[in-house]
Amino acid sequence: MSDSPVPALDGAGGATPLATQPPLTKVELAKSSFCGLDLAARLDELASMGWESLDEATLTIHLKWLGIFFRPVTPGRFMVRLRLPNGLISADQLEVLAEVVDRCGDHGSADITTRQNIQLRGLLLEDMAPLMNCLERVGLTSRQSGHDNPRNITGNPLAGIDPDEFVDTRPLVGAIQNVLLGPDGPRNLPRKFNVAVGGAPDSFLLHNDLAYLPALWQGELGFTVMVGGFFSAQRNELAIPLGLWLRADELPLFTLAVLRHYERRGDRTTRQRSRVMYLIEALGIDAYRDEVLETLRSLGGGAGDAVLNDGPHLVSRAPRDICGVHPQKQPGLCWVGLNVPMGRLDSAALYRLVELARGYGSGELRFSESQNVLIVDVPTQRVAALLEEPLLRRFPSDPGPLLAEAVSCTGNHYCGLALIPTKSTALAVLQELEQRLVLPEALRNHWTGCPNACGQPYMGQIGLMGAKARKEGQMVEAVKIFLGGSMADDPQLAVLYEKAVPLSDLPDVLETLLVERFGASRRNTSA
Amino acid sequence: MVRRPGPSSVPVPLLAPELPFEPDPGALPAPGHADRWTWLLSLRRQRPLVLEPWLLAIEVGQLEPEADLLAVLADQLDADAAIRLLRFWLQNPERSPSLPNLVGRVRDTAVADLLAAALADGGEGRLDSVCQTLLLPLLGHQRRSGDFPLLQKLVLQPGPRQVRQSALEGLILGLSAWPLPALRSTLVSLASDLDPLLAGAAVDALARLPNARSPLSLLERSSLEASVAERLQRRLRALPTSSLLLLVHGRADGFIPPDIRSLAAELEQRRGAPVRLRALTDPSPLPPEPLGDSLSLIPLFLLPGGHVRHDVPAIATALRRQGPVRLLPFLGAWPCWQRALAFEVVQGAADRARPRWLHHPIAGRLAVRYLAHLERVTGAACIQTPEAHNDLVALAGDQRGGLMPLCLGASRLSECLVPLLGEAAAAPLLARPALREGLLQALEVLP
Ligand code: SF4
Repeated sequence: MSDSPVPALDGAGGATPLATQPPLTKVELAKSSFCGLDLAARLDELASMGWESLDEATLTIHLKWLGIFFRPVTPGRFMVRLRLPNGLISADQLEVLAEVVDRCGDHGSADITTRQNIQLRGLLLEDMAPLMNCLERVGLTSRQSGHDNPRNITGNPLAGIDPDEFVDTRPLVGAIQNVLLGPDGPRNLPRKFNVAVGGAPDSFLLHNDLAYLPALWQGELGFTVMVGGFFSAQRNELAIPLGLWLRADELPLFTLAVLRHYERRGDRTTRQRSRVMYLIEALGIDAYRDEVLETLRSLGGGAGDAVLNDGPHLVSRAPRDICGVHPQKQPGLCWVGLNVPMGRLDSAALYRLVELARGYGSGELRFSESQNVLIVDVPTQRVAALLEEPLLRRFPSDPGPLLAEAVSCTGNHYCGLALIPTKSTALAVLQELEQRLVLPEALRNHWTGCPNACGQPYMGQIGLMGAKARKEGQMVEAVKIFLGGSMADDPQLAVLYEKAVPLSDLPDVLETLLVERFGASRRNTSA
Repeated sequence: MVRRPGPSSVPVPLLAPELPFEPDPGALPAPGHADRWTWLLSLRRQRPLVLEPWLLAIEVGQLEPEADLLAVLADQLDADAAIRLLRFWLQNPERSPSLPNLVGRVRDTAVADLLAAALADGGEGRLDSVCQTLLLPLLGHQRRSGDFPLLQKLVLQPGPRQVRQSALEGLILGLSAWPLPALRSTLVSLASDLDPLLAGAAVDALARLPNARSPLSLLERSSLEASVAERLQRRLRALPTSSLLLLVHGRADGFIPPDIRSLAAELEQRRGAPVRLRALTDPSPLPPEPLGDSLSLIPLFLLPGGHVRHDVPAIATALRRQGPVRLLPFLGAWPCWQRALAFEVVQGAADRARPRWLHHPIAGRLAVRYLAHLERVTGAACIQTPEAHNDLVALAGDQRGGLMPLCLGASRLSECLVPLLGEAAAAPLLARPALREGLLQALEVLP
């Protein structure tokens, strides 16, 4: 393996002579100069210097260790990505975020992400030091939420209230985050790393680098380990079985072992080939598993007890549409799922959500991977009043079948790579189609502004990717259409169906597609 | 039901395998070409990129300055390159509206000079309002304090709404670079602007300045548009307030007169944060627990006597063992308090001879200097309270002018004076509405 980009494992396989190793990427060199977390104490000083005086690596790489993102499209107005393990947030915490967004005026907004997380936009560098203090005060953090770090850990958005759940994912997700952000956690991974814990029959998680799916072994409920899922511009993979079954209490240390192993062994010479799947392929799944278990042993874990299995699990259906009123497993209580169009929240909506969660529920809210919000613990007798609240005219609990399951990336308003304004295009097209069509059920549609695929177009029953096309001699904004994504028990990634449809033609093209392929019927327009 | 996993992997090859890449402007696929996005992604990875051919191709019209190309070049621009592209744009602003934002973020004196010249009256180009709107935030990015007057002028003077908003965005983006008093007063005036968007943004910017509570609290008394007033309330609620500990002399056994207690209660209500009172005469020990996250200790003493010089610092030292304490100067030293006393003297002298301050006995050079200063500022003589009651009676009967007790709340002195001067003239300072309100306002806006 002298030409392998995989660095040798300490004490297992001997050392690869340095001279034969390809050089590190520029990003790796910058990352190794210092840890971005060290900037936390210097935020005030950086703010008074002005962001323009920061070197490019600090601005575009190191600050992301604190969850702070420079946005070239809005220079001077930064984004902060939080961590919300399992998508949970309290009204008190959301109120702090509402204030942060509100003080950014027209520039401020908060986006619900596909990792059940929140991104705040429009902030100044001057806002960062006080913001970090506020976050800490209310038990939130934005630490290690960007760049080559373990990203927000997702779980069942209905954990603890779900009549269908096998296991409450909240404590597991929390424990994994604690270990990863703790003193032994990784600080410099070769690339980003997504971890998720499933708890219900609809916990589709195979797009994660490491996914724990609920599974039985000899009658005991635990987790089958799946590894290597990821989407990128170059390649898309669903996670594959690692061949292990773990008890719930083993997840935190095992996750740490996977990440510590990846930190040491992942490829740092080619960023396009550094996601963990490439490491798995380079080593072979069995050798990869052995090395991870070796790392687990070195961390004091009981790797000898690991149960080998070939990947059976209890996840059997596509994720539910969480919008609407649903009984919780606690008698007399409901969760109310609200559709947030394209996941975008302004300060007025944030303040109102805080009031609704306090006034009708227990003061807790949750975010789903479909970029929607849930108010939980609403007494049944209070539901009717909640449904009359003015905010629900903006964020309905009974959205149309297209808007309910629409997911979108940021688009060109904030992202320099976007080829189309993703969110506004999606909203306009879907609203138009909801007017024209009746659909038998919610239809998952994923919109993404460019081939980087942050909007996960391959997971949609319909996926739409920003592109350019020529129409009547003019270059115009367009989308590629992908079809066939499934998150059910036979998962499939969507494949390219239409190369470039100009946005002006899109409603008509999609209308035909929805009628012909998805059982939609046209509304009687004369009625 | 136990499920087997689906297909273990579903590779979707989207892009052709990478070929050796030539970063040549002539090879850039045309806008709309299927390969352009990938090509630009490869260009983005070229570090360092030789910029000259790209700049030249744009300048001679061989390449259109499309936003996707500029976004890639912008990552690697130095000041010279940024200036060339900005100059190109100033000649052809309609060709690429996204250019300034992408290119002008290079922070450099020459870039700042170019922007300032383009924006200043009579500068090269005389820009229309759309172009001004694009450039003003960039001038703010440059953070040169010398550009503050231009931004200030454009935000305050009547003009197109977008230009004023952009000038304000310029001020906000350079916030910590501007002269603070001038910035603060600019934002305070803007907060009352007829345009609620501008006014709201000014309130938000004020809330980010050091000691923001003070200007924001003062704004509360202005008449603001309803949405701006609500915004102001939200900003005030979110600002951290430190607790105040008002230190007073007190009477026997730590008794604090009702007028001082009511001042503290009203202050607490106005600030929305704890206000505690403590008398020097209080025999009980200081509370052992911290008095909040941060505490300001306010010595409400009127003269620099032994209490101010010895007792107050000792109390501050004791309190600092429990947490951070900010010790303010004694009240008598506050210029706003001295101005309020001067005003009271003028009011009191309106219908009769100028009154004199009757103060507690005090000794030492500092005290002498202070009393001389107070006489100068207020225009009223300072007279030490005589020890013998008869002397006090004689003083009260002196026709050369009235007497005003220099004591904050009701005290033995003010009570002695009531039969001699009458209720109104013998009133302690807190019983005088203008002084009380002035003190409340000064305490209210403390951070
Ligand atoms: S998919 Fe492309 S356009 Fe959308 S956020 Fe990601 S990089 Fe930006």
